[in-house]
Amino acid sequence: MSVAVAVTDSPEGRTALESAVAEARALDTGLLLINLTLHDFTDDEIPRDLEVTLINRSGRGDRDPVTAVLDELRDHVAEVDRLVLGVRSRSRVGKVLLGSVAQRLILRSPVPVLTVQVPEAAKKR
Amino acid sequence: MSVSPYRSEKQFDLPHAGVGRPVHRLGVIATVATFGGLLFGYDTGVVNGALEPLSQDFGLTPLSEGLVVASLMIGAAFGAVFGGRVADAYGRRHTILLLAGVFIIGTLGCVLAPGAEFLIGARFVLGIAVGGASATVPVYLGEIAPSEKRGSFVTRNELMIVAGQLAAFIINAVIFNVWGHVDSIWRWMLLVALAPAIALLVGMIFQPESPRWLISKGRTEEALEVLKQVRSPERAEAEVAEVTHLASEDAKQATGGLSDLGTRWVLRLVIIGAGLGFFQQLTGINSVMYYGTQLLTNAGLDSGVAIIGNIANGVFSLLGISLGMFLLNKLPRRVMFLTGYALIAFFHVLIALTAVVIPPGPAQAWTVLVFLVLFVFSMQGTVGPLTWLMLSEIFPMKIRSFAMGICVFVLWIMNAIVAQFFPPLIEAMGMTATFSMFAGCAVIAFIFLFLLLPETKDKDLAQFERDFKAKYGRK
Repeated sequence: MSVAVAVTDSPEGRTALESAVAEARALDTGLLLINLTLHDFTDDEIPRDLEVTLINRSGRGDRDPVTAVLDELRDHVAEVDRLVLGVRSRSRVGKVLLGSVAQRLILRSPVPVLTVQVPEAAKKR
Repeated sequence: MSVSPYRSEKQFDLPHAGVGRPVHRLGVIATVATFGGLLFGYDTGVVNGALEPLSQDFGLTPLSEGLVVASLMIGAAFGAVFGGRVADAYGRRHTILLLAGVFIIGTLGCVLAPGAEFLIGARFVLGIAVGGASATVPVYLGEIAPSEKRGSFVTRNELMIVAGQLAAFIINAVIFNVWGHVDSIWRWMLLVALAPAIALLVGMIFQPESPRWLISKGRTEEALEVLKQVRSPERAEAEVAEVTHLASEDAKQATGGLSDLGTRWVLRLVIIGAGLGFFQQLTGINSVMYYGTQLLTNAGLDSGVAIIGNIANGVFSLLGISLGMFLLNKLPRRVMFLTGYALIAFFHVLIALTAVVIPPGPAQAWTVLVFLVLFVFSMQGTVGPLTWLMLSEIFPMKIRSFAMGICVFVLWIMNAIVAQFFPPLIEAMGMTATFSMFAGCAVIAFIFLFLLLPETKDKDLAQFERDFKAKYGRK
């Protein structure tokens, strides 16, 4: 079994990754790391003590991050037992302007979703 | 008008590209493909000179004159966005062949137009070909050229665009002064574009497909066949690995899309890029390239003289862009941009003042022409080519295709808006107010770029991306 995590280019993404690593360690499973950012992860961003499967977005087919994650989850549905996702509250204007990746994933994920928020302490850093 | 977006960070050690036959073949390919750039220039520049007789024929108002000119740019905005998609799906060669066909149909449509509405429609179709060529030809050239010559091949296309405009100015001046009395002489001016369009169509039939596109479609055997025609045999074999690597990089560039604009620092870069396209057109460079002859007539020259004087605009455009290409490698980007916009504002103010200080007549017209060519020269020597280079390097690699698409679309639409509203503005407000407005836009551009534009010269693009993200990303 393994824990999947969708990592966006944001504080929520980093929090989600930290939480997912903790989950995987606690459950003693592997980690399916889905990179939604626009850069490739370097080695020091990936925990060494876990069995990590890294998936990068690449090509026009992965243009929509939600589709990219759902495709991966469907491919690994037998082994993934949860998806870890970072969320944050958004202003009304923000909700009108941009759709929420997190909301669409929560509603469409084939596996249970664990949502985490950025801790207050980290925000002030 | 675009600088090659390809930069390979991975270096391949390759044997020499070859001598003799393969080099000769490459020269033929470059000559044929850059007819696309020449057509781009000719079709955008030809209204400058053709507009006056055309306007008399169809009884155009300043507003409908604007629409005749601008319809081509609106077509080009769509052609630029969708041309790249078509070229990815059906291949560079087939796309250029298709575009050559559209050039021919669009040109014939314009030449045979029975009325203004038909002409506007035909110019829109022609615009699709112009925009498509602007997106496809540099890619084809960049992909078929050996890596060490990639830059010079793409530069050659940009020079051909400006040369095409100059050619249009010269041909118009000759036709108008020799056969000016003939009815509907503008039809003959537009018809000249048929020759390079046919040359492009016939020439491209004999040119090979881009090896990089073939490899991206898994057609490695065919790619090797093409490489053997344009490289020495050793180099052809060795290059397959490099081309395969580059093709996979290309696929990555199409990754990012709309939802990535939710990332704050990426959005910031896209706003800067869109601003570059927006302000480049608001310099008014194309109002000179499309309406130069009219400006000189308004200022007090006879039509026959104005159309000759206008050639100076084309000459200084070509000189400016040659200087600009040289300066790109010498000066920091910010310095070059800010100097450029400062000079542009300065010459616009001088043009505006000339129209007030010197009474209308030949003296005013010649003074305006001097400042116009100085404006054109400083613009093409700085902001013109630099905008395209900057757009090709500020975006993170994985969103480059989408982000550049937005910026190029903004640029063409602004081009259309300036083309559409320049004649009515001149009519309603006069030259002083119109050029003061351009000067104001250049000042706003200066402030915008001073505050927002990052420096990219001599920086590793991956490092630039990390630094920019660290500075402007959400913490």
